Amino acid sequence: MRFQDAARDARAVVYAGIQADPLVARLASLLAEATPAERWMARAAMNGERTGAEIWRRMFPSVFGEGPAAELRDHAERLLAGSLEVANRGEQARNQYRGAVVEELTAQLLARCGGLVKRERRVLFDGVPAEIHPYDVTVESSTRPEVYDCKWGARGINADVLNQLDDARMHAADEEIEMTVALVVFDARQSAEIRLDRSSAPREGTRLVALENIDELGVAHP
Amino acid sequence: MSDSANLVENAAAAYRALADLAESVEDEWQYVTDLTDTYLLGILALAGTPGPLPNGAAEAVDEAIAEIELITDPHRAIDWLSTFPHVVALALGGDVDMEPDR
Repeated sequence: MRFQDAARDARAVVYAGIQADPLVARLASLLAEATPAERWMARAAMNGERTGAEIWRRMFPSVFGEGPAAELRDHAERLLAGSLEVANRGEQARNQYRGAVVEELTAQLLARCGGLVKRERRVLFDGVPAEIHPYDVTVESSTRPEVYDCKWGARGINADVLNQLDDARMHAADEEIEMTVALVVFDARQSAEIRLDRSSAPREGTRLVALENIDELGVAHP
Repeated sequence: MSDSANLVENAAAAYRALADLAESVEDEWQYVTDLTDTYLLGILALAGTPGPLPNGAAEAVDEAIAEIELITDPHRAIDWLSTFPHVVALALGGDVDMEPDR
């Protein structure tokens, strides 16, 4: 088994430009340090119709109200400002930015564990045709590799994604390598579970990481 | 009816309208139905959140309702089917993540 950079078509080149936008890294850094309430605020604002900051401050009094300390409010303000920058992009760009933010957040959290974290990589197995689509984030190790597919919403979960992740896990097992395969969804765990319950694709060996437990990515697992 | 019950009733009505819009995405009808069945119960259960309303709760729920009432794109509506219940729950100091009855 080995990892390989994905070939870049025109679409991938455009998306790489979005991934490299400093806004994406800035938002991901803020989300990595955010509370669950702040993450819901960011998700809502990036999904939102209105882009006036005052509206979102009123909608999230537990984040912006009198209670939180000044330092926390400042963090929330910076997160809101970045989220509204995404919301202010056109509809198509907004969708791409949101996806890129989840991928970058995943990569930043995984990097806390000290592994070799890479983006847009394919995994090649002996005698197995390569998958067309690269994995969003990988942690590259010869003994305990990890591959992650990242989604802004649970609606992005589909049979193709589940099959690709499970195939990778099985092929790695054929080479006696224990590979962690995971779906990261910046959405409610329950909405992801509901989505998965209607899918007939294999999911038993795939870890689900949702908005509520995304911090677990930054904690080394045995 | 208490302030909390009024807010929850308004939120539930807005959520039903959001779900009606989302249902027009035919390929996602089952997912939309499953989400709505689960989270509508969660929203209604917020009426039983103990204690006084947190500061700013009424304004927060009103803003959340105003936000989803602006949505005309059914795909955007699906994005909000899981988000709106959590925004309302945060405002009211409750939880909408109950085990779905499936």
